[in-house]
Amino acid sequence: MSDIVISARGVQKSYGSNHVLQGLNCEVGKGITGLLGPNGAGKSTFMGLVLGLRPRQGGELNVLGVDPDRSGPELRTRLGYAPEHHDLPGDVQAADLVRHIAQLHGLPRRVATERASNALWQVGLGEERFRPIGTMSTGQRQRVKMAQALAHDPDLLLLDEPTDGLDPVQRDDMLALIRRVGSEFGIDILLSSHLLEEVERVCDSVVILANGMVGHSGTLQDLGAAASGFKVELDSDPEPLAAALVARGVAAAVDGHSLIVSGVDSASDLIRDLVADLGLGLRRLEPRRTTLEDVFIEASQ
Amino acid sequence: MTEARIHDRGYMAYDGPRHGPGRAMANLSYHTVQRVLGLKRSNWQKVLPAIALLISFIPAIVFIGIAAFLPRGDELGLESSADYYGFITGALFLFAAFVAPEAVCTDRRSGMLGLYLASPLSRDTYLVAKAAAIAAVLGTMTLGPPILMLIAYTLADAGPDGVTGWLTELGRILASGTALAVFWTALSLAVSSLTARRSLASVGIFVGLLASSAVGDGLAEGAQMGDSYALFNLIGLPFEAVYRIFGEVNGEGPPIGDVDTWAIFAALVGLIAAFGAFARWRYQRIEVAG
Repeated sequence: MSDIVISARGVQKSYGSNHVLQGLNCEVGKGITGLLGPNGAGKSTFMGLVLGLRPRQGGELNVLGVDPDRSGPELRTRLGYAPEHHDLPGDVQAADLVRHIAQLHGLPRRVATERASNALWQVGLGEERFRPIGTMSTGQRQRVKMAQALAHDPDLLLLDEPTDGLDPVQRDDMLALIRRVGSEFGIDILLSSHLLEEVERVCDSVVILANGMVGHSGTLQDLGAAASGFKVELDSDPEPLAAALVARGVAAAVDGHSLIVSGVDSASDLIRDLVADLGLGLRRLEPRRTTLEDVFIEASQ
Repeated sequence: MTEARIHDRGYMAYDGPRHGPGRAMANLSYHTVQRVLGLKRSNWQKVLPAIALLISFIPAIVFIGIAAFLPRGDELGLESSADYYGFITGALFLFAAFVAPEAVCTDRRSGMLGLYLASPLSRDTYLVAKAAAIAAVLGTMTLGPPILMLIAYTLADAGPDGVTGWLTELGRILASGTALAVFWTALSLAVSSLTARRSLASVGIFVGLLASSAVGDGLAEGAQMGDSYALFNLIGLPFEAVYRIFGEVNGEGPPIGDVDTWAIFAALVGLIAAFGAFARWRYQRIEVAG
């Protein structure tokens, strides 16, 4: 079975004169993938195309081996979707709603009833499953959304801003649940978010959208290993050290109170010696890491 | 001996059979019927649908009661089955304007539409399932009482003469009841597709029907522009169509009573098609996820 869950080649989508996706290329593999981007970058539009809710205007899109435009209903039996801003009907019991959605995804009634109950237990709402959704907290409603997306055992789960409106504790719980679904349950996840920290905490890979195109995509592990060089923090002005490094042919740039030494992985001894020779106080010397924030800012620009 | 309990069975994959979109439509229709009837909801939500159903069935029960007590062959109060629909106009109006919008407006307001369209349902199959649910309840109101009366009258020896007469009467009842149910369903869906707020849809249907009645009759009768303008009267048109199905003309209804039967049927079919097409057009454009 292919390790590629979603494959997009030159995908285009416009609303009138607004070109939301302009030739988007990306591959989403197994595991948990974060779909990052500033507001208006096209994250929700891309999710809509993956679900087959909208036809694209150009390019190729393959989700779980099929084209959503051609086989939308069949594909959606294998997808779970938790939307962002939806309130859900307040007078319906959580168990009824989850069972109903599971039945719509093709499960026989008895199986749907069992699995709805099980899904609500899995998301931590076992005791609350017969409560009307309108009486639940925001965090509980987000869990109901998660349960309805899980109950029919999808191959791919699409989560649109799943921590929206949650307090820090609820957010931590939800992120832990997402991590559990992606690892223990073995369901691939595409998580749309604009919060970098969330994506860093739970995702294996990331696709960053900017201006309707992919600004960056790859695993977070590769991202961390991508950078080379060192970050140096001194207790005084780093300019003299920068000048000394440049004089020895090592690229160095001052970044506030820090010094970024790039390109040379063996420069740590040289930095140490120069700091000692110049009589500077060294606070920190660490290998330079590219953060998701660095990539995000670069991609957004 | 200690009692053993399984506290967490963990997540279980499902490899069993899955039904297709057809079953999803049936499931959505069933769920919608429950919802519009107020089942599994508060008592307050049951009031209007219960009143609508009662208004549609009570006259039939009364007529059947009269038939049971009157000597055989006596006049039973209704000259034609078409007359019965005059008794339930209010019920159909009440249901189409104040109950049926619940079937679709709430889905948009609560975001359920997004979840439905993320299932094997498409926009078209969603709309068909919703229409089937509304039509099923309206059909119960338009078909149930006349069929009940036909059976009761037949048992009271006051039904149509002969097998052919009985089957003709049944056919006319089926045609009339279906036409009314489909018309009111299409009208309700078309107006409800304009808004996510149930109350606005109700007001829209209510005002639209009254306005159409005033405009249609005003143009035909007041402005003397011609009888065919009475076809704009959305209250009068479907009931006139019912009379025509029974081979009669509604005596109380000039100027529409003077319009040709083919024009009545064409207008009814055209309006149903127009309302349906409008609702479909609206739902193709409603934004959900993405």
